[in-house]
Amino acid sequence: MKFRLSMRIRHFLEGYIFISLWVIGFSAFMAIPLGRSLYYAFHELNVTSDGLKATYVGWKHFQEAFTIDVKFPSRLISTITSLFLEVPLILIFAIFIAMLLNRQFIGRGIFRGIFFLPVIVSSGAVLQRLQSDGGDSLPIFSQYNLFDVLRNVIPPEILRPLLDVLDSLTVVMWDSGVQILIFLAGLQAISVQLYEAAKCDGATPWESFWKITFPLLMPMILVNTLFSIVNSFTKRDNLVMEYIQSVFKLSKFGYASALGWIYFIIIFAIIGAVFYIFRNKMSERG
Amino acid sequence: MDKSESRLHYRPAGQTLRKRTSEYANKIFHYVLLISLSFVFMYPILYLISRSMMQPADLADATVVWIPKELSFSNFINVFAELKYTETFTRSVMNSLVPAMIQTFTCAIVGYGFARYTFPGRGILLALVLFTFLVPPQTIVVPLFILFNQFDWINSYLAFWIPAILCQGLRGSLFVLIYIQFFRGLPGQLEEAARIDGANAFRTFSRIMFPLARPAMLVVFLFSLVWHWNDMFQPGLFILDTTKFNLTQQLSVIYGLGEQELTLGMGGSTAGMIGVVPSQGNRIMAGALLTILPMLILYLFTQRYFVESVERAGIAGD
Repeated sequence: MKFRLSMRIRHFLEGYIFISLWVIGFSAFMAIPLGRSLYYAFHELNVTSDGLKATYVGWKHFQEAFTIDVKFPSRLISTITSLFLEVPLILIFAIFIAMLLNRQFIGRGIFRGIFFLPVIVSSGAVLQRLQSDGGDSLPIFSQYNLFDVLRNVIPPEILRPLLDVLDSLTVVMWDSGVQILIFLAGLQAISVQLYEAAKCDGATPWESFWKITFPLLMPMILVNTLFSIVNSFTKRDNLVMEYIQSVFKLSKFGYASALGWIYFIIIFAIIGAVFYIFRNKMSERG
Repeated sequence: MDKSESRLHYRPAGQTLRKRTSEYANKIFHYVLLISLSFVFMYPILYLISRSMMQPADLADATVVWIPKELSFSNFINVFAELKYTETFTRSVMNSLVPAMIQTFTCAIVGYGFARYTFPGRGILLALVLFTFLVPPQTIVVPLFILFNQFDWINSYLAFWIPAILCQGLRGSLFVLIYIQFFRGLPGQLEEAARIDGANAFRTFSRIMFPLARPAMLVVFLFSLVWHWNDMFQPGLFILDTTKFNLTQQLSVIYGLGEQELTLGMGGSTAGMIGVVPSQGNRIMAGALLTILPMLILYLFTQRYFVESVERAGIAGD
């Protein structure tokens, strides 16, 4: 018995076979858990002798998260604000460094290596230890008593957070290794002739950055924005993550799932907004 | 070169001189900027190295900022035992090197399928790959844990290996996306030629396309390895037995013990003044350095590939 499949069907089948591994993995470790966690979010889970017992509680967990729980809303807000603060900073910083590295100069390879070093060093446990030892930020700003010097000029209520942000800039910089590389790759794909033509027409470097570099980097900016957002979920100092894990360790499974879903919805709203903005920006240029 | 020389003929001498000095100034400024920024980027590692060599006496000494008075590796020797380095190192290898190798292979297969085949539902499935990348792990923590518990994968390497085989695990979907991007860039004639020579789809992949994906493989492998090695989320969730902790977990353990010792022994503030805190801190810094040492050594040798292959694999596509 021999099947004769048409070329088309055969092509489909081969494709499905190649991706089958992922389809199984997606269903087992993403789709089903996602569905289950939604189910748990509306249930109270109790560990009994014959496994987990779920009783329906409706929106109770979601209401609790915002009304009774004192820690969650504040942690959520601070996580989201730091996301909004850090992602643009990372992007600006990464473009800046990538442009510095994009020139031809002696020792370029070494510098590229250095700028990527924090990706290896300062993720996870090591940075946590550094943090607890006070080695997580360069003491440039606090060291020289800038606070005392500037106190007379700028009101302390503004100055203190400002200096804190500047000090935490170093951590932001260390988070931008991968983004620098992606921008660098994007910059190298831009043909030099474009800049030469612009120069002949009398464009200043500033103008040619905004008219050539920036629009052509748009896809990389989107990629990097997404990557930075995703990176911030799994960062060691993500307060929401820590909190959900601590709730989870207390065996409040239903509540932890509900918190997970609240976070998920907010993150997806942000990502959706990012996609929307970029789509408009990119279609403007046609 | 020739061009600029020919220009010299019709330019007043003063102007070229001015131009040249401004060029030099520009260059110097560029280097100053780069060097000062690289100091910021080197800071964590320099700090780690310097602190891990220091003894309590060095910390009390105001003249010592970076370089300790005497060279001593006692911190390392102490912390090596505390970390149970050989054991925890092996475990770290098992739950980072092995899944990294698996992901390098399986994600290539899937990426190839998405890049080179069109089939009904491809668009939706691709969107789901991106979706998987964007879902915060926090959301599915609970069911995943319960599922793994049912399978009896808690405290076992299987919790890391099986998801990797199925292209999930730590950032599996990102790696699939990298491969898709890479395979898309290869010319289609390669497969046609293989087909004409009588190779079937799977032979074409394993003999021709997979070996060609070396730059992408390198990116995926190195990133997967480093991210797995430094990851604390997954081990924190799946490895609960303290005798099965890996390096990063053990580092947290000795850090916690240090804290406890101090608060139990004497008041934290007095301990700080006497210099017990710093010595414990230095040992932990030495431990932290030992924890990332394997990755640092790896980076030293593969630095070129890390950086160049990201550019070549064309991650930075759409």
